[in-house]
Amino acid sequence: MSALQLRDITLRYGARSLFEGLDLDLHPGRCRLLCGDNGAGKSSLLRVIAGLQPATRIRLLDPPEQRPRRAARQLRRRVTYLHQHPYAFRGSVLANLRLALPRGLGRATRRARLDEALRWAGIEHLARAEAIRLSGGERQRLALARAWLRGTPFLLLDEPTANLDAAARARMLALLDALLADGRGLLIATHDPQHFPAFGRDRLRLAGGRLGLDRAAAAPAAAQEAG
Amino acid sequence: MERLSEATLHALQLLLSGDPALWDIVGVSFRVSVTALLLATPPALLLAALLAFARFPGRRLLVSLFNTLLAVPAVVVGLTFYLLLSRAGPLGEWRLLFTQSAMVIGQISLALPIVVAMAHSALQEIDPRAWETARTLGAGPLRAAALLMGEVRYALLASVIAAFGRIIAEVGSAMMLGGNILGYTRNITTAIALETSKGAYAQGIALGMVLLLLAFTLNAGLHWMQGRSRLQPEYLT
Repeated sequence: MSALQLRDITLRYGARSLFEGLDLDLHPGRCRLLCGDNGAGKSSLLRVIAGLQPATRIRLLDPPEQRPRRAARQLRRRVTYLHQHPYAFRGSVLANLRLALPRGLGRATRRARLDEALRWAGIEHLARAEAIRLSGGERQRLALARAWLRGTPFLLLDEPTANLDAAARARMLALLDALLADGRGLLIATHDPQHFPAFGRDRLRLAGGRLGLDRAAAAPAAAQEAG
Repeated sequence: MERLSEATLHALQLLLSGDPALWDIVGVSFRVSVTALLLATPPALLLAALLAFARFPGRRLLVSLFNTLLAVPAVVVGLTFYLLLSRAGPLGEWRLLFTQSAMVIGQISLALPIVVAMAHSALQEIDPRAWETARTLGAGPLRAAALLMGEVRYALLASVIAAFGRIIAEVGSAMMLGGNILGYTRNITTAIALETSKGAYAQGIALGMVLLLLAFTLNAGLHWMQGRSRLQPEYLT
C-alpha cells in the first residue's frame, strides 16, 4: 500500500476561501491528528480528502491526477469517511454492514466477512438489532465495522470521541489501534487531542485556512496533562 | 329521506348480487387507473430524485412547476388532451379520443405531479449524511439514490397512494377523454354523474360505496405498514 499524497488542496465557495494550497500526506499504519477550533474547516477538509466534495484545486501524486472530479473518484476508492455522528440506515445492524461489502463476493464469503466484522467490532450481540436504536458508542462501532469491511487503506474520522463516555471511548481507541495494526492509515479530526494520548505524536493544526504542525504537540505530553 | 334509504338498500342489493353491469364499470375504473399509475410512477420517482439530489439550472423552477400542477383541475387536463387528441388536433392522427388509452394519458398527467411533488419533499427531508455514507461505503450514484429511497419508502408509497386516490376519483378528464361509453370507457365516476342526472340513484350510491371502501382499504393498509415500521425517533437514541 502506498502513501496518500495530496498537494495544493484548495476549497472555495464563490469568493469565500476555506483553505488554500494545503499539502498533506497519509501513510499506511500511521495516525495523524488534525486539530483546530470549531469552524476551522476540519470537516470540509476531511470531506475533500474522502472524495465526497470535489476540491476547487487538488493534485494527487501516485497515481498522478489533478482534475478535481477524477481526483475525488480516486479518493473515494482509497478513503472512507466516518461522520462525527454516524448515520445508520433503516434495518438491522447486519443490513447496515452488508452495504459496505465489496460487490461480487460469494454467499459463503459474505457471511464469513460479516461475522468477522461483527466480532471485530464487538457487536455480535447486536447483529439483529435495529441500527437506528443503537446508542452513540454502539453506533460508532457499527460505523467502524462498516469502514473495516469497506477495506479502503485510509480512514478519516471526524471527532470520533465526541459525546462518548470513558468506557465507550476506550473501546473506540482499541478499535483504532486494531486498524493501525492492520496497516490502515488514519486521519482523526478533533479539537480534543488529549483524548488520543497514544496517537498524539503526529499533530497537524488547521487555522486560518493554513495547515501547520501543532505547536502544542512539540511540548512534552506531561506539560499538557498538567495544563 | 325515504328515497335515500330506499336507494341505498337497492344499492347494497346491486353490490351483493354481483350485478355484471356494475362490476364492469368498476373494472374499467381499475384497469385505467392502475395502468396510469404503473406508467406514471417510475418516471415520477426518477424526476423526484433528480430534483432532490442533482443540482442543475432551472431546478427550482421545475419544483414550483410541479407544485403548481397539483392544483390543476382534472377538467382542464381533460380539455388540454381533448384539444390535442381530437381529429383536428396535432395528435388527431393517433385516433385515441374516447378510448381507454386517452383516459390513461389524462390520468398519467394527473398522477405524475402528485408523486413528483410528494416524493421530492420526502427525499429532501433525508439526512445529508445518508448520501455521504452510502457514497463513502462504495455505492455509485444510482445505488446510493436507491438506498435513500429505501430510507423513505413509506412516504414514497404514500405519494403513490395519494396519486391513485386522485385519479380513481377524478371525473373531469375521464369524462372528456373517455366519452362515457357504456362497457368501454364508462367508469365509476362518469357513471355516477350520468346515473344521478337520470335520477337513478341506486347505482350511483353503490359505486360511491365501492370508491369509499377502496379508499379506506388503501389508507388502512398504509397506516398498518407505517405502524409496523415506527421506531423510536432518532433524536432519542
